[in-house]
Amino acid sequence: MRVISLVYTALLSVMLGAGGILLSSHSAQAQQAAATNASTAAVEHGASSGLSQSDIAKMLPATDMGANAARQNNPHLPSVSDSLATPFDAASIPVNPLAPNADAIGAKTCVACHAQENLQASHSLHVASFRAGAANRGPQAACETCHGPGSDHAKQPTAPGSIIAFTHDAKTSPQEQAGVCLSCHAGGARQHWIGSIHQNRGLSCTDCHNPMARLSPEGVLAKSSIDEVCATCHQDIRAKFNRRSHMPLPEGQMACTDCHNPHGSITKPLLKTDTVNETCYSCHAEKRGPFLFEHAPVRANCLNCHDVHGSNQQTLLVAPIPMLCQQCHTMTLHPNDLQTPAGLGTGPHPDERLIGRGCLTCHTNIHGSNHPSGSKLHE
Amino acid sequence: MFALKGNRMTPTALTLGLLLALFGTREALAGDTSGTMRVGDMQFGNALDPRGWTPMLQPSDPDGMSYLHAGMLRTPTGALYPYPPMVDPGKPLGQGDWTYAGVLEFGYLHVGGDRNAEYFRQYADWRSGAVLGLLALDFENRKTGAYAEFRGDHLSGDDQFYRLRAGRYGSYRIEGFYRDMPHTVSTNAYPIWNGVGTTDLTLPARLVAGASTPAQVAAVSATVPRRTIGLNRTREGLSYEGVLYRDWIGSAAITNEKRTGTRLWGGSMFFNYPFPDNGGALETVRPVDFRTTDINLSVRNVGKIWHFLATYNGSFFRNHKDHLNFESPFALYNVAGTPQVADIKNGQSSLEPDNDYHNLRLDLSRELKWSGQLTLAGAWGTMRQNDALLPPTTCTGTGGVFIAPTADYTFPCANWNTTAALSQRSAHARIDTGLFDARVTFHPTPVFGWHAGLRWYREDNKTRYLSYNPLTGQYGFISENGSQGSIVPGETGIFDPNNPLYRSANIPVRNVPFSYTDSQLELGADWQLGRKTSLGVTYTYDQNQPKYRERKRVDDQRIKFDWVNRDVVGATVRLSWEYAKRDGGKYNYDPFVPFYSESLPGFVTPAIGLPAYTVADMRKYDLSNRTESKARVIVTYPWGDSATLSTTFYGNRDHYDALIGRQSTSTTGATVQWDWQPTPATTMNAYLGVEGSHMGISNINDADNSDNGNAYGRIGQANPHLGGPLYPYANQWWEFDRESNRNAGLSVSHAIGRARVDLSYNYTGSFGHVGYNYATIGALAYRDAAGVAAASSGFPDNKYRTNTLDLGLSFRVNSNVGVRLYGRYETGAFSDWHYAGLNNTLSYDHRLYTDKGGQLHYSVSVVGVMLSLKL
Repeated sequence: MRVISLVYTALLSVMLGAGGILLSSHSAQAQQAAATNASTAAVEHGASSGLSQSDIAKMLPATDMGANAARQNNPHLPSVSDSLATPFDAASIPVNPLAPNADAIGAKTCVACHAQENLQASHSLHVASFRAGAANRGPQAACETCHGPGSDHAKQPTAPGSIIAFTHDAKTSPQEQAGVCLSCHAGGARQHWIGSIHQNRGLSCTDCHNPMARLSPEGVLAKSSIDEVCATCHQDIRAKFNRRSHMPLPEGQMACTDCHNPHGSITKPLLKTDTVNETCYSCHAEKRGPFLFEHAPVRANCLNCHDVHGSNQQTLLVAPIPMLCQQCHTMTLHPNDLQTPAGLGTGPHPDERLIGRGCLTCHTNIHGSNHPSGSKLHE
Repeated sequence: MFALKGNRMTPTALTLGLLLALFGTREALAGDTSGTMRVGDMQFGNALDPRGWTPMLQPSDPDGMSYLHAGMLRTPTGALYPYPPMVDPGKPLGQGDWTYAGVLEFGYLHVGGDRNAEYFRQYADWRSGAVLGLLALDFENRKTGAYAEFRGDHLSGDDQFYRLRAGRYGSYRIEGFYRDMPHTVSTNAYPIWNGVGTTDLTLPARLVAGASTPAQVAAVSATVPRRTIGLNRTREGLSYEGVLYRDWIGSAAITNEKRTGTRLWGGSMFFNYPFPDNGGALETVRPVDFRTTDINLSVRNVGKIWHFLATYNGSFFRNHKDHLNFESPFALYNVAGTPQVADIKNGQSSLEPDNDYHNLRLDLSRELKWSGQLTLAGAWGTMRQNDALLPPTTCTGTGGVFIAPTADYTFPCANWNTTAALSQRSAHARIDTGLFDARVTFHPTPVFGWHAGLRWYREDNKTRYLSYNPLTGQYGFISENGSQGSIVPGETGIFDPNNPLYRSANIPVRNVPFSYTDSQLELGADWQLGRKTSLGVTYTYDQNQPKYRERKRVDDQRIKFDWVNRDVVGATVRLSWEYAKRDGGKYNYDPFVPFYSESLPGFVTPAIGLPAYTVADMRKYDLSNRTESKARVIVTYPWGDSATLSTTFYGNRDHYDALIGRQSTSTTGATVQWDWQPTPATTMNAYLGVEGSHMGISNINDADNSDNGNAYGRIGQANPHLGGPLYPYANQWWEFDRESNRNAGLSVSHAIGRARVDLSYNYTGSFGHVGYNYATIGALAYRDAAGVAAASSGFPDNKYRTNTLDLGLSFRVNSNVGVRLYGRYETGAFSDWHYAGLNNTLSYDHRLYTDKGGQLHYSVSVVGVMLSLKL
C-alpha cells in the first residue's frame, strides 16, 4: 500500500501541477510575475511613470523626499544623501507589482489625505518606532516602505492596486503582503514562515497584526490580546479552554503563543520546540526525567494521554480512568476487568481501581519512576 | 557546562552577564524580538483582567480610522478590525524629548458565596481585599526611540506580576519580570496525615501505623479539617536582545521558577479489592518543591540571501524533595502461612529527580531561484539525571511470608533497605536527541508552487539499569515496600536462580530504554486558481521506528487537500480534508521478555508455562493500524459594513484495526460567532459552540477466578489468544466514552457619554457518558448478584457546567480620573462518578481517600470598585 500510495501521489501531484500551469492564464502570469521580486528588490528610483514631482506638487503638499533640511538644524547628525527615499535601515520600498512604474512621493504627501490614519499610526508601536529610527537617518518614507511607491495612488486614489494594501478588498495578494513585512521582519522567529500552515492557508500578517493603530498595547495585534486574535479562526480550540481541566489561558496566565509560534516552525502544530514533549517539558520540567523506569506512551508523546487545550476529565486526560489505561493494559490479572458502578464508592464493591484517582492511586508515578522498586510505577 | 549545583549561583552570573552585554550594545537594527521563539511568559494577566492591560485601552476614537471612509476596514480574511482607541499623546517629561503615559487602577474586591469553589479558583486567587488592577507606566523618547515600560498587577500575594521593559526601538531590549501564578488542585481535601507538604506523612496520635482498624481510620478521616491542595509558581526572568556586531543580533534570557505547594498523590500497600480487610490503597499528598532555571541564548544574522539562527536552550530542574514517605494505618495479613512475621506499615514513593537539559540548534535558510527557499535545521539535545537512588525498601525487621521451612518466603529487610542492595548507587539516566529538518520550496510561476520536506528525529535512551542485589545475589526489587510479598507468598519481587521458591518468578529486572527514530518525507504542491482561489495538496510519509515496543516500524501515510477561496458569496472559506492510513511491521504483543527475569540464566519455566503477558490480539493505539480522516471548514463572512459572521465546522473519524484496544474515535463540532461594531461606541459579540465526541475500546477479562472458567494458575494460562482458555470470548467487553460540549456567550459594550457599560455572559456545559457492553458476566470485575445488578444500571453521567455573568460600569469623572464598578456572578455544577459517595465517607475498608472532588454546586459573586487614575 505504501509504494502504491507514494507513486499515486507523486503522479497526482505532477498531473495537477502540469494542469495548473497549462490552465493558468498568460495574463495572470504577467500580472504576478513582478511579485516574485517584491519582497527583496528595492525600487530603482528613476522617474518612470511620467508623473513628475511638479505634477504631484500641484495636487498635493510638497513632499519631504528632500527633507535633509530636517537634519540641518541638528549639527550632531551626519548628513545624508538627498535620495528619493531613505529606508529605515534595511527597509526598502517594495515594488508594487500592480503599479510597477510608480514613484515614491514621501509621507508628507500621503498624510495630506490620510490625516486620521497618520494620527493613529503615529501612536502605534510600529510606526512610532519606525519614525524614531528614521529620524536619525534621513527623511521619512514611512508609508511607502510598506505600501510601496505612491505616485500612481496619488494620481488615481480610488484605483484598486495603485498601492500595496493589506486589507480585505486589497488587490495585493497575501503572499505579496507578507513579503513586504518580511523584508524587515525576516529570520528569527519568522525563519520558518515559508511553508508554515498559516502561510499555506493564505494568511497575511495583517490577519493577526494591525500596525496602523494601537489596538493592543503590545504586539501590534489586530485585536486587544493574543488569545482574541487566535480565536478569530480557532474558535473551537478557544472553547476547549472552558472545560473542567485546562491550562490557565482564560485566567490570563498564558497565551496561545506560549507554546505555539504562529509565524511558523519546523513542526506542523507550529510548536516552538522540536517535539510535543519538549514543549511540555518547558514548563513541566519535572516530567522530563529521564527516569529509571519509563512509561512508553508518556515518553513517546504527552498527547497520548492528555488533551492540552482542555478536557472534561481530571488533569487534561483524554478519557476517564480506568478506561484511559485499559486501552492498552489488557494484561493478565487486575487491569482487564470491566469496571462498572459496582466498584464506585456508592456501589456494593468499592474498588480502588475506579474510585478517585483510580489506577493512579497505586501507579502514582505514572510519568516515570526513579525508585529502584518502581518498575511498575508504584513507587 | 551549565550543570548547576544547588542552582543558586548561575542566576546571579547570568544577570551580571546580561548587564555586561547591555553595556556593550551598539546601535543597529534588531528587527524585532525573539519572544515567539521561547516557550512561556508571553502573557501577563489575571482572572480579573485576562488581557493584562485592559485599563490601558482607551475609549474608541469617534473619528474611526479614516476621514476617507466610514466604519472600519477588515483583515484580508474579512474580520473587522476594532475601532482604534483615542490617541493618548502622553505628557512631556521634563524639557527633553521624553514623554510618559500611565494608568493606575486600584480598588477593593469582595468575594461572596462559595469563594472556595474549586473550579472558581483553579487558577485565580480571588480574595476579598484591596487589589491593584493595573499599574502601567510608559516612557518614550520619540526622537531616539528609547523607551521604558512598567506593568504590574496584584490580585493577591500569590497572583500578581510586575514587568519592566526598556530599550530602544530597532536597537535593543531588556526585560525583567516577577510573577506569581496560583494553581488550586482541590479545595475539598481531608488528609489525615501530619506533615502535609513535607516528605514524611505521619499518622495522627489516634492511629497506629499498621495496626489501625478501618473503623478507626474512618473516624479520624471524618473529623480532620478541610484543606486546600495546590501550588504556586513564582517566576522571575531577565532577558536581553540586541545587536552584537553589525547585523548579528543576539538574545539571552534566564528565567527561574520556584514551584511550591502540594498535590494529590497515591500510596500503595497492595490491593484491597481481592483481599478484604487487607492491603492498602491510600490517596496521599505529596510535596512540591521545585526550582527550574532556564537559559536561552540565540544569535542570528538576517541577510538578503541567507538567514542564520543558532539557539541554545538549557533547563536545570531541581527537586528539593525527592521522595515521599508515608505511614499506612492498615494492618496487613499474609493470605497463606501462619503466623504473620512481617510488620510492613510504611510506604515510599520516589519523586522526580533533578535533571539537566541542553539543546543546541542551528537553522539556516537561503533564498533560491524561482521564488524558492531552502531551510535546514539541525539540533542536538540531551537530558540527563544522576540522582542518588533510594534503597529498594524502607522496611525494617522481616518481610514476607513464612509457611514452612521449605516454603520460607521471608526476607530480611536489612538486605534491602540500604543502597548497598543496588547494582548502582545513582541513576546515570540519559536521553540524547538529534534532529535534522530540510525543506525546499519553489514557486516557479505565480500560479504554481511545490515543496518537499525531510525530517529525521531520534530519541536515544541510554539509561541502563539492572535490578540486582549484590548483598544477596538476587535479582529484582521489593514490591510496594514489602507489602505485596507480605500478603501473597512469593510476590516479593525477587528472582533467585538458586532458590526453588524464586527461580520461576518472572519479574522485571531491567529498565526498558524506550527510544525511537522518526523519519518524515513530505511532498506538496499548490495552485493559484484565479486571484482569489488556491488549492494545495500535500502527501506525507512518516516512518516511526520505536525501540522495545510492540512494533519495530510504524508507517503513516497522509494526504491532505486544502482549498481557500476569498469570495464565496463574499465570504472567505478555508477548507481542508485529510486522509491517513497507518500500518507497519509485525505486531509483537510481548516485546518485554528481555527485561524480565525469564531472560536470565537459571530461570525455570513452570510446567504449565508462564501466564500470558497480555492477550495477543491487543493493539496499542499509538502503534496499531489505523485509518483517519479529518475535515475542517472555516468561513468568515463580512456581514454588511459593521458585522462579521464566522463559523467553523470540523470533524474527524479514526478507526483502529484492533480486536482488543482502542477501536474508534470521532469528533464533530461547529461554532458560530457574530461580531458587530455599528459605531465606535458599541460592540457586540455572540457565539455558540457544540461538539460531540466518541471513543470506543474493547478489552477482555482473563479467566482469573474459579467462578470464571479456566482460572489463572491452571493449564492454559500461557495461551495468549483471544478465544483461548485464558481469554475466552465470553469475557470480552466493550466500552465507550461519549461526550458533548456546549458553549454560548454574549458580550456587549456600549459607551454613553462618559460612561461605558460592559456586559458579558458565558455558558459552558460538558456532559460525559461512559457506557459498556459485555459478552457475559465473565467480563465483569464483580460477578455476584449485587455486582451484576449494579453493572446493569450503568455509570451516572458526568457533568461540568458554569454560568458566568460579568458586569462592568466605567465612568470617567474627568480626563484623568475614572471609576469602575465590577461584578461577577458565577454558578457551577459538577459531578464525576469517580467521587461518588466520597462526600459521605473517604474511607472504604483499607482504602482511604483525601479528595472529595469538586463542589457539586456552587455560586459565587465578586463585586468591586476600582479607581482609575491617568498618571
